[in-house]
Amino acid sequence: MRVGVIPYWGLPALGVALIVWAALNDMRLALILGVWFGAWALNAWLSDRAHRRGARLVVPLIFGVTLLALWEMAVQLYDISFVILPAPSAIWARIVTETATLWADFQQTILKGALAGYAMGCGAAFLAALAVDRSPFLQRGLLPIGNFIAALPIVGTAPIFVMWFGFGWQSKSAVVVAMVFFPMLVNCVQGLKASDAMQRDLMRTYAASYPQTLIKLRLPTALPFIFNGLKICTTLALIGAIVAEFFGSPTVGMGFRIKIEMGRLAMDMVWAEIAVAALAGSLFYGIVALIERKTTFWHPSQRRG
Amino acid sequence: MNKLLIPTLALTMAAGAAQAQDAVTLQLQWVTQSQFAGYYVALENGYYEEEGLDVTILPGGPDIAPPQVLAGGGADAMLNWMPSALAARERGLPVVNIAQPFVRSGLQLTCWKDSGIAEPADLAGHTVAHWFFGNEYPFMGWMNQLGIPVDGSEGGVTLLQAGFNVDPLLQRQADCISTMTYNEYWQIIDAGVSPDELVTFRYSDYGMDTLEDGIYVLEDNLNDPAFFDKMTRFVRASMKGWAWAAENPDDAAMIVLDYDETGAQTETHQKRMMGEIALLVAGGDGTLDEASYARTVRTLLEGGDAVITAEPAGAWTHAVTDAALAN
Repeated sequence: MRVGVIPYWGLPALGVALIVWAALNDMRLALILGVWFGAWALNAWLSDRAHRRGARLVVPLIFGVTLLALWEMAVQLYDISFVILPAPSAIWARIVTETATLWADFQQTILKGALAGYAMGCGAAFLAALAVDRSPFLQRGLLPIGNFIAALPIVGTAPIFVMWFGFGWQSKSAVVVAMVFFPMLVNCVQGLKASDAMQRDLMRTYAASYPQTLIKLRLPTALPFIFNGLKICTTLALIGAIVAEFFGSPTVGMGFRIKIEMGRLAMDMVWAEIAVAALAGSLFYGIVALIERKTTFWHPSQRRG
Repeated sequence: MNKLLIPTLALTMAAGAAQAQDAVTLQLQWVTQSQFAGYYVALENGYYEEEGLDVTILPGGPDIAPPQVLAGGGADAMLNWMPSALAARERGLPVVNIAQPFVRSGLQLTCWKDSGIAEPADLAGHTVAHWFFGNEYPFMGWMNQLGIPVDGSEGGVTLLQAGFNVDPLLQRQADCISTMTYNEYWQIIDAGVSPDELVTFRYSDYGMDTLEDGIYVLEDNLNDPAFFDKMTRFVRASMKGWAWAAENPDDAAMIVLDYDETGAQTETHQKRMMGEIALLVAGGDGTLDEASYARTVRTLLEGGDAVITAEPAGAWTHAVTDAALAN
C-alpha cells in the first residue's frame, strides 16, 4: 500500500493546506472543505476506537449527516438553482407536507406493483428452477428463454404490458416479473446444484425419495443462492415498478409523480420520491437479508467474528 | 451527413472564417419534426447566417425538460409551452418569453363517438387518457370549469396518464385521449379510424387553451446588451423561417426530414404536420398576444392543480420582438 509511506501527519497537513488555499480564493469553498475535513478527522479518530459498539454506530451516522450538511451548504452558499439541485431542507419540508401523497404513491408502486411482481416473478422462477433441475431438456429450453426475457428493454415491454394488462398496477407487476424472473432462475438453478455428490449419495443410501432429498438436503444447500437471487431482485423490482409508470399509469404512483413533478420542475417533490424509493429499497433489501441470516445461519458467509 | 447539410456546413465554416459569428444554442421541446420547421428553415436557408448567427438546434424528447437544460447552461434559448415555463418561473428559474411564434393551441381531446360522448358534459363517467408532464393543465382547467371531478370520485372522469402514443384509445382502454392537431390525431386516422367515428374537442374552442411553443431565455441574460442583440437577430431570423415554412409547407417538411438524424420521421406525416402547424402560426409575427397570455394564466390558476399559485410578473417581454420587427 502506498498509503503506508505517507507520514501520519501527511493527510491532516494536506487538508489544512487545501483549506488555506481555498480560503485565499473562495471563502465558501474553504467553509465546505473545513466541514468535510473536520468530519473526516472526527470519523478517523472515532474509528480508531471502533471496537466500542457505540463508535460503530456513530461513524456511519456522522458520515451520512456530513454528506447532507455538505449538500445543504453547497446549495445555500453557491446559490445553486432549485431546478438543478434542491437543498435537503427543502426536500425534507416537502416530505413532511406531502406525506399523504407519498404514502398513496408508495402503496400503489411498492406495495402493489413491486411486491406483487416480485412475489410472482421469484415464485415462478423458483418453480421453473425445480423443473429445470429435474429435466435436462427444460434446462436447454427454459434457460435461453429466461435469458431472452431478461434482455428485453423495459422501455419496450412497459408500453406493451400497459396495452395488455391495463393502466393499473397489474401492468407494472408484469414488468417486474419480466425483470426478476431470469436472475432468480439462474440463482435457483445454480443453488440446486450446490449439494455435492457425496451428500446426495448418502441420501440415496438412506433410501430417501426425491421430495425428501429436495427438502432435507438440496433446498437447504440452495438457500444461499436463492437468497442472492432474492436480494438482487428487491432492487430490480423497485426500479421496474417505478420506471414502468412512465409509460402509462393511473394518476397515482411514484413513477407517475416523478414524471409529472419533473414536468412542472417541482424538483423537491421528485427528490422526496427518490428518498422514499431509496428508503423502501434499503428496507426491502434489509428484510430479505435478515431472513437470510435467520435461515442460513450455518453458512460460512453468515458467521460473525 | 446528408447532401443538403454539407453545403450549409461549408458555407457556415466559410462565413465563420470571414467574420466571427455569435453562437446560439436552441433547445427544442420534442424530437425533430415539422413542429419546429421555422427554425430548421432559418438554419437551412441561411437566415441565421445573414444575421451573423451560428445556431445549433438541440432536439428534445420525452425525458428532456427544456427549462432544466436552460438552467444548466446547456442552451441560450428554449422552446417551451407556457404552463411549463410559468411553473419553472414560480419555482425560481426566471425564464422570460421573448417571442411567441405559435398563435393558436393545437391541443385537443379526441373521443370515440360511439362511447356516447357528443358534448363536453358527456365526459362525466368516462375514462380519459391524457398526457401529463405539463400538458394536462388545459384539461384540468376545463373539467374544473365544467364541474366534473377528476379525482376518481363518483360521476367524474377516470383519468389515466397516457404514454406518448394513441394506443389507449385504439385499444379502447380509454374513451378519450389527448392529441395534437398536427400529430397524434393523424396517428389515429392512420390506424384506420375514420374521422366520422371520432369527436374532437379543441381546448381553444372552450377558452381553455394555453400558449404552446414560445421562445424563452433566462431573465438575467437579457440584461446583457450583447445577448439581447443576439436574441433580437435570432427571433427576426426565426420568424423569417416561419414565414417561409408557412408559405412552402412541403419544402419546409423536406428540410425538417433532412435534419432528422433519427430517420424516424416519414415524408407524408411531416408534410401533413407542416400543413397543420402552418394554421397554428398563421397571422403571428412573433409578438406575444397579451390576451392569450392572460387566458393562459387564467386557465392555469383555474386548473385547481397548483402548477402556479399566483399571477406571474415579468414572465414576458415585447422588447425583443419590438426590436426585431423595427427593421
